[in-house]
Amino acid sequence: MLIATRQAYGETLVKLGTKYPEIVVLDAEVKNSTYAEFFKQKFPKRFFECFIAEQNMVSMAVGMSRMGKIPFCSTFAAFLTRAFDQIRMASYSKANIKLIGSHCGVSIGFDGASQMGLEDISMMKSIANSTIFYPADSISTEKLTEIMALTKGIFYLRTTREKTPALYNENEIFEIGGFKIHKFKAQNKKIIIITAGITLFEALKAQEELAKEGIEVLLIDLYSIKPINKEKLLLELGFTNGKPFSHKIITVEDHYFDGGLGDAVLNVFADIPNVAIKKLAVTKIPHSGTPLENLKSAGIDAETISKAVNRLI
Amino acid sequence: MENNLTNLCKLLRYFVLTSTTKAGSGHPTTCLSSIELLSTLFFGGFYKFDLQNPDNPNNDRLIFSKGHAAPLFYSLYAAAGVLNYEELLTLRKFKSRLEGHPTMDFEYTEAATGSLGQGLSIGLGMALSGVPHVFVLLGDGEMAEGNIWEAMELSSYYKTANLIGILDVNRLGQSGETLVGWNIGSYAEKISSFGWETFLVNDGHNLSQIKKAYKLAINSNPKPKMIIAKTVKGKGVSHLENKEGWHGKVLSEEKLREAIKKLGNVDLKLRGKIKKGDWVNG
Repeated sequence: MLIATRQAYGETLVKLGTKYPEIVVLDAEVKNSTYAEFFKQKFPKRFFECFIAEQNMVSMAVGMSRMGKIPFCSTFAAFLTRAFDQIRMASYSKANIKLIGSHCGVSIGFDGASQMGLEDISMMKSIANSTIFYPADSISTEKLTEIMALTKGIFYLRTTREKTPALYNENEIFEIGGFKIHKFKAQNKKIIIITAGITLFEALKAQEELAKEGIEVLLIDLYSIKPINKEKLLLELGFTNGKPFSHKIITVEDHYFDGGLGDAVLNVFADIPNVAIKKLAVTKIPHSGTPLENLKSAGIDAETISKAVNRLI
Repeated sequence: MENNLTNLCKLLRYFVLTSTTKAGSGHPTTCLSSIELLSTLFFGGFYKFDLQNPDNPNNDRLIFSKGHAAPLFYSLYAAAGVLNYEELLTLRKFKSRLEGHPTMDFEYTEAATGSLGQGLSIGLGMALSGVPHVFVLLGDGEMAEGNIWEAMELSSYYKTANLIGILDVNRLGQSGETLVGWNIGSYAEKISSFGWETFLVNDGHNLSQIKKAYKLAINSNPKPKMIIAKTVKGKGVSHLENKEGWHGKVLSEEKLREAIKKLGNVDLKLRGKIKKGDWVNG
């Protein structure tokens, strides 16, 4: 079954609303796109329509969190950047606020360049003590949204417009700093693709195609972009102290080249010698079109990923 | 017993001037314009707060949206007897709780401020969360921030009767005069057109005018309220009053001694009492 992560978020909010009476939901008049409207229908008194005024919405949430509420604020990822200063100040207020940016990346397609959140990870990564989740499917969205409700601090959930298939099952564990491994035989750890969100599905396609050619790659769903559990990741990749590390890594993300998932991965390997990292990310201003046209044009689709792997071996 | 507001204002001026000179930096002139407004709020019986229980849900709340008036913010708590003078003099020092602009290091800070234009929105969030009254001190310079007017509109939409802004119109910004200077009528027109109840104070240093404004503003009409007060930046120190070029500058030791002399007798032992809410139900 195909479900967009933004819709999974809306459905999860309703479930959490009963469990956590402190949750309040704010939205900048795009509630039918972010699916915050599901919460409004169930808990009208705990829903605050903030209209198209994102800065005010974020600072209101800071005030609410001070009074013990758990505010979830949603809008398009692109428009959340308008409240950068308010988010920055929220960190100095030690606020407990949850920000949700939907319609991230070039994969939204038709609405065009100005509507594609392509700077949001970079912005949120620079906030002191922030946590960034970028789930690919509905189950991971549900689990990560509950972690956001349960854990104090500034959290960012990046959701996708397009519908995506279920990847995980109800019993799987998701955690702050965590990631998921997608592998065929686990023998070959020489080439590793690290990605998250919509491009995870492109990478899965590439992995399958490459396997047909006899090339095995390890694929990682880095759903927790910040923080990253470095020790666990290095262990999983077979890196141990003193052993030379000859792996090659490709990162793929539906975000601009600077400040995104690729940079988060670069930071993990910054003090480890002999690691080659190739970043695939959006490097030019995108354009209206189909999601696939845009993924291809940005060079973050399955075919480009396969080519990049072939070039590395 | 009634607090002696006139003497408390003198004490607050003494605190603001000595702590900023000791720090060597800060914004004393912007503090001086707000002293009567805040002293009356705190010690005139309008602000209800249980200082021993800051988390009491029956407490009113206060946001200094003009965060650069931090020395006054801390001085108010010193005058209320919960911050001692020695500690007040650690203002802006590396290990002090008292940062140059309010942060959560100080237990009575509700939200970090200092990036202007955000306090009213924070106050609105609090007002919608069941706080009896939320007071937000605004500077006239920050009224140029669009964020303020976003908060104005939404407060009016949600009819937050418990949100009370205090606009300190001291005419001067950092590098010159604000957009409308001392034209408090212009603020009243704009703010009331957003659906707020407005209360003008022609002399923001006149205690009886200020008291009257608070009495009128604390009411249950289903509208947010704004007290708009004409004040003098640097009030109380003659060579600073209404002068450009003094934003973010402190008095030298010598000028401080002169200024204190002119304040007259300051009772350094005087402390004011803040009322607790009548509705405290334990």
